[in-house]
Amino acid sequence: MDIDPAITERISLKIKEKGIDAGDEEIAAKLRILTEDFHIPPEEAEKTVTDEILKENKVTDFSGDKPSDMTDIADAAPGDWVTVEGKVVSVSEHPSESIAQSGILADRTGAINFVVWNKAGVKPLKELEWYRFESAVVDEFRGAPNLKIHSGTKVTKTEQETPLIPQPVRISDLKPGVATIRAKVVREFDAGHERMLQTGLLGDETGTVRFVIWKDSSSEILSEDKIYTIYYADASEYQGKISLNITGSMVLEEEDTEIEVYEGDTEIYGAFIHMGSGSGLIKRCPVEGCNKTLSRQNFCPIHEMQNDFRYDLRITGVIDDGKNAKNILIQRAEAERITGITLDSAIETATEGPLGYDDVVMKMKDAMLGRYFTCKGNDMDGTVLVKSCTSGRYDSSVHAGLLNRTSEMLKEKDGEH
Amino acid sequence: MAEKAGTGKNFEREPAKRVFATELREARVQFREGTDDMSPTYIMLPTGERCNRIFFCGELKNKEKRGDQNIFYTARVKDATGVFFINAGSYQQDAMLRMASLENESYVAVSGKPVIKEMPDGGFFVSVRVESISEVDDETYRLCLDDTAKATLDRIEIFGETEDSAKAGEFYSTDTKKYLKIVYNALAGENY
Repeated sequence: MDIDPAITERISLKIKEKGIDAGDEEIAAKLRILTEDFHIPPEEAEKTVTDEILKENKVTDFSGDKPSDMTDIADAAPGDWVTVEGKVVSVSEHPSESIAQSGILADRTGAINFVVWNKAGVKPLKELEWYRFESAVVDEFRGAPNLKIHSGTKVTKTEQETPLIPQPVRISDLKPGVATIRAKVVREFDAGHERMLQTGLLGDETGTVRFVIWKDSSSEILSEDKIYTIYYADASEYQGKISLNITGSMVLEEEDTEIEVYEGDTEIYGAFIHMGSGSGLIKRCPVEGCNKTLSRQNFCPIHEMQNDFRYDLRITGVIDDGKNAKNILIQRAEAERITGITLDSAIETATEGPLGYDDVVMKMKDAMLGRYFTCKGNDMDGTVLVKSCTSGRYDSSVHAGLLNRTSEMLKEKDGEH
Repeated sequence: MAEKAGTGKNFEREPAKRVFATELREARVQFREGTDDMSPTYIMLPTGERCNRIFFCGELKNKEKRGDQNIFYTARVKDATGVFFINAGSYQQDAMLRMASLENESYVAVSGKPVIKEMPDGGFFVSVRVESISEVDDETYRLCLDDTAKATLDRIEIFGETEDSAKAGEFYSTDTKKYLKIVYNALAGENY
């Protein structure tokens, strides 16, 4: 796809107003990355590129008077003493006695978690009001910046006319802290904890991220395949991976829009050496948009007893190539093809056979364990969702190649002595 | 139950290394990385790679049921170079049930944990605690042979260049040529 020169020109003009000359080539290159590699619509790419160039050149769009010692929330880094001005977008009680309030403060550049120490003697902050904090301290909590309001911080209520519209962050750009994203629910996982309302994967054009919603009074369940803008979610990092806690975040469903979720192409060849406990014939919740796996007693973690379930087949397990062990998930169609066990025959085995459900798993193990497969699919948070799976085929030319390689290496060894 | 913990967290499963029986039997070094109870145990192969888990294929031989109250099975698995000693007890319920139903002389694929034991007479016994075992066809056996040959060649090629292989060289005074010959004979074996 070629870049429309009109877009390049518009951006060029806009940044010239700010005294920046970026060169059309550079602008076009940036646009190309967004539109071609990430399939972002041109209008959106135009805005993103403009913002990025302005940011690179340390120009902000801020039209009001901004005191020079004011820090943008996006720039507040652990260890800094800062003066920030922002809107309290949420406050919550904190279980710790030494903390009066905690919550999220946002300005037009970003958002940050804050904590008001009891000792600070600050009048309780109100949600949706603007405040200026002079001499607050930024430190780090679980890898994310956190604003501490202490007894030396001067807090003043301020007035702001301009509405605050948070800019969604692309998933590949997420880092620990507070973030607003626009994404599609691509998959749900089984909630692993009774206090967990829902967990799954959110995806946008740039990647996927795991999310969790804990049970509380306000949170609602998201539906698979729907698109949402999630405001001020809590991004944290664990073992190098970001996950989003969206408990209590404001979530708006976006209708009449589509996101083409980034699909990494992963191909793995190796031995299927482990079949996971979620394999075999399963029952799914029939409630629209739920689709969760029911327990053997037909119990859905959300919708309780569901005796009108529907059956499904799946295989979870590990493909191991000797260097890496990769979790895989094979859905019904491929599972039927690769094992030769159809959903109907599995239902028959499970409901009429003497060993029931276990017998289905045994048959699947017989067909797969210890054998070589090539699986292709999307790597979603460490599990490859397999789109196609083929059995390994013995190739005599590979064998001959290995023999040659061995004799070459033997010859080399002889040469050394 | 480390595997179970993996479903929710970002637990990294240890890959199953490919190794021929003759090489595995010569392993003598077993060590633990880290100090807590859950940290994995490895054995060091003479060609210089650590393994916590291995995968191999071969012919099942000498299957025996042992023990009175605590039943366990032992067997040998013959690959192109020698034999593996395998066992499965009540802690490997699934694997034990599988072994009970398998017949001698059938081709099996095994994944499991290698264990080195020093015997009272000062000798060493290397065995494999089975995690999963299944009957496979001749084609899988051949794929596994090529896979194992390739992995061994890959190790020999970088022998001495990695930290682990440098240590292995020091301990075993590995003669890599010997292992090249083992690979060659396995690949050129009269079966194929």
